[in-house]
Amino acid sequence: MRPVASSRQQVLGRIRAACCGGQNPAATAEEAAERYERLPRDYRTRGKSTVRACQELFIERLREYDAEVVECAPEELGAMIAAQLEASGRHMFVAPPGLPAGWLVPAAWQISDFEWNIDHNLPADEIERAQGVVTGCFCGVADSGTIVLHHSATEGRRVITLLPDWYLCVVRASQIVETLPEYFDRCDQPPALVTWISGPSATADIEMTRIKGVHGPRFLNVIVVNDREQGTGIRE
Amino acid sequence: MSAAAEHEAVAEREVSDRPILDPALAPPFPVAALLVLRNSQLRKNVAHAIDVIQAKRARLVAEKQDWQELRSAAALIRDEALENLSVYLEQFEARCTAAGGTVHWASDAADARRIILELLREEKADEVIKIKTMTSAEIQLNPFLEANGIRTYETDLAEIILQLGEGEPSHIVVPALHVNRSQVREIFARRMGIENLSDEPEALTAAARNYLRQKFLSVPTAISGANFLIAETGSVAVVESEGNGRMCLTLPRTMITLAGIEKVLPRFADLEVMLQLLARSATGERMNPYTSLWTGVTPGDGPQKFHVVLLDNGRSSILARKTERQTLRCIRCAACMNACPVYRQTGGHAYGSVYPGPIGAILTPQLEQMRHAQSLPYASSLCGACFEVCPVKINIPEVLLELRARVTDDERKQVSRFFDPLYLGLRVANVIFSRAWLSHLAQWAGRIVLGLFTRKDGWIHALPGIGAKWTQTRDLRGLPKQAFHDWWADRQRGKK
Amino acid sequence: MRASLFITCYNDTLFPETGRAVVRLLERLGVEVEFRPGQTCCGQMHANTGFRSEAFSQAKRLVMLYADAEAVVIPSSSCVAMIRDQYPGLLEELGDDALRKEFAALLPRVHELSEFLVDKLGVEDVGAYFPHRVTYHASCHGLRALKLGDRPFRLLRKVRGLDLVPLENLDRCCGFGGTFSVKNAEVSSAMLATKLADVLATGTEFCTALDNSCLMHLGGALHRQNAGMKTIHMAQILASTEEEPAELMG
Repeated sequence: MRPVASSRQQVLGRIRAACCGGQNPAATAEEAAERYERLPRDYRTRGKSTVRACQELFIERLREYDAEVVECAPEELGAMIAAQLEASGRHMFVAPPGLPAGWLVPAAWQISDFEWNIDHNLPADEIERAQGVVTGCFCGVADSGTIVLHHSATEGRRVITLLPDWYLCVVRASQIVETLPEYFDRCDQPPALVTWISGPSATADIEMTRIKGVHGPRFLNVIVVNDREQGTGIRE
Repeated sequence: MSAAAEHEAVAEREVSDRPILDPALAPPFPVAALLVLRNSQLRKNVAHAIDVIQAKRARLVAEKQDWQELRSAAALIRDEALENLSVYLEQFEARCTAAGGTVHWASDAADARRIILELLREEKADEVIKIKTMTSAEIQLNPFLEANGIRTYETDLAEIILQLGEGEPSHIVVPALHVNRSQVREIFARRMGIENLSDEPEALTAAARNYLRQKFLSVPTAISGANFLIAETGSVAVVESEGNGRMCLTLPRTMITLAGIEKVLPRFADLEVMLQLLARSATGERMNPYTSLWTGVTPGDGPQKFHVVLLDNGRSSILARKTERQTLRCIRCAACMNACPVYRQTGGHAYGSVYPGPIGAILTPQLEQMRHAQSLPYASSLCGACFEVCPVKINIPEVLLELRARVTDDERKQVSRFFDPLYLGLRVANVIFSRAWLSHLAQWAGRIVLGLFTRKDGWIHALPGIGAKWTQTRDLRGLPKQAFHDWWADRQRGKK
Repeated sequence: MRASLFITCYNDTLFPETGRAVVRLLERLGVEVEFRPGQTCCGQMHANTGFRSEAFSQAKRLVMLYADAEAVVIPSSSCVAMIRDQYPGLLEELGDDALRKEFAALLPRVHELSEFLVDKLGVEDVGAYFPHRVTYHASCHGLRALKLGDRPFRLLRKVRGLDLVPLENLDRCCGFGGTFSVKNAEVSSAMLATKLADVLATGTEFCTALDNSCLMHLGGALHRQNAGMKTIHMAQILASTEEEPAELMG
């Protein structure tokens, strides 16, 4: 039986021969990094819309995916969450451990009691029993209606936004950017875990007919919190 | 093979026979295509599917002001990664390992299968759930695992349809596009044991969802592919629509990711280019529903054992060649086959490979080190529609021509080829074109010979031998009595 | 202005009327046309089937033949594409510096017919009269390799009496592809059938293009099916006047 090391040597050896046999001599990591920095990039790296237009685009794109989207002021968030939960007709929710406590307090007028299961490493079948999930997010990309999760404490482990059928995501307006490159710009360093969500799960595998919700939540609700000054000027 | 013999060979195969997607065993493209051309159901399905995607793609590309700039950047980034592939792969390996993953290297398909089997045996796994990965089909992983007592469960809807229905993929992104709803209904009802299953896509999808739910929650080992490997961080990115990927990536204990060595990108931020191009090209969406990225092992979240198997299997030989290297830029979006007028007529199975269409025509023979699938570079009218839509600007016609030259160089050495009518004809034609007087002589001879086949209406309706390939479906106007140069010469004489 | 006509091997043999039309048209526009009798083939057929050294020898011949020509006009986009796209690689691989230098000097002087008319002569109205319903098929080489754009349309729209009907899926390949039509005859025919459906749906009398290769393939099927539609190279439409209507052979 061949030792594992030899496959590695073989493959790397072939690659080096292929790249360096002809033109350029073997690049070091530093040389490669230098060349990389010099690559021309003429594509759009920033959007041109106003803050308000960008937010509206984000909402429009989400609605195109049949997501339910509402806006609210920061002080209204708790009540808005409660209203959304109420309207869902569901009772058992899972939430990430870092979700602000104020988000989970039932409103005075509320009819139902909600059962909150905070995800302190819950086993999968318990999460499976939850009917819905509420989280925050890292960023929203307006161009494609994408919600980006880095799975921090307010966003939760990946499984909790996957198993329940109903997902409520709170997006602060200040988290919304217009273009995908702007999201990458916001990452001080690359995250270890990312989930980019652009609509409910879907398939078009049967006769190109788009069906929602194969696996993963079929219902996506978004609350956009107007947490910044709504200027009409172009963003800086 | 004579035309008649080819037709015989094809007639013996049934339209319903399982297509052969092993390039070492598949019939040459013209023969395989002939079989498919008789399947009007399949052709209708294929045309419908690609029309839908093409229309969606066209709309989104038109609205994207910087589409061409993105393509250019993507081509440069991919070329840069390939140019420094050993550097970036080693970087990936180091970072992935530091993050708790284990990186394995597979020289070829057999090597990769062996590594994966050993890993599964270590886990004492007797079943495994899979996210769709064409790379695993390339190495014929499933039959190998099954033969070694490990049950494989595809979880992608199209892959389930194919697995349960014992079919073969015919497209990279929508592998079951050749199957219609009543066929799916039949397969699911039979294999999932469901009575009174309707053929509405919603019902079929719900059946698949239920069928898989328990598998996701119980099978502890999963196998995935990778859309991208990020060297900078040692991360893996998987792009999907259904959510089965997310299921397989988070619920099991052990994850094995199989990835071609060419999948690597230098930096995390390179995804800002690739993700904008991929979904628009593949499914005509601004972004696919779910894209997941993970790095090694994250305590408490997802699989706690993670392995990456880096696969060569002929890729390094493609890397070595100047013109052909661009083949490896491919991000498996399948836009080329959606645009291809040949693919439109034949679908994927005619290509005899898990990689069909224009990319398959250049990738498959090269992965086979030009020992098989030599007919694929000729399975093209060189129209260039593929190049036009490729998000990473692979000049597929240029590579096709290069591969044709390589095939011809090999074939013309063989004695048997000397009397091949096409080879003979081309040799003779070259001599004829070397001197004007020889060309004129040949024209004169051609007028006489073809004159024998020319009917009173001035047209040729039937020709023998290789000419019959033309006159199967087309007439040929008889050669005019005077070639242009004769007319010109007369005119010059008349002027004097 | 002097222009040297490269008629192309297949036009010389099969479509001399296209050559005659080019001559008539260019002379009418005040161009002095010359024809170098030593010409044969650009080498495309051999290049596309992988016979590179043979293609090179033909390429070399062509470059040397036209080395001192003021302009070379070619009524075939695939041949121009061959010269522009494949000659550089062939000459790089098999030629020498002197030949490459000759080629570099020649290249800007090589024009496809519609390019010559619109770009070099700066004309769109060539004084043509062709009172028929016509549809235009964009050959792949002209469309994608040469990027002819709207030049053919600008020329056709100025032809008096011509009723131009748009073709659905105008940019879809007709399926000829050179030796492809024989090596993959069945698929070629399937592509042809699909294309023909669009062509016939226009309800026109003529399908025109800038390449007789496509037209030979389309026209051959139209004739076989007694479809009552003909093909004609655009040069013949542009050359057509009241006094001298287009030659319609066959």
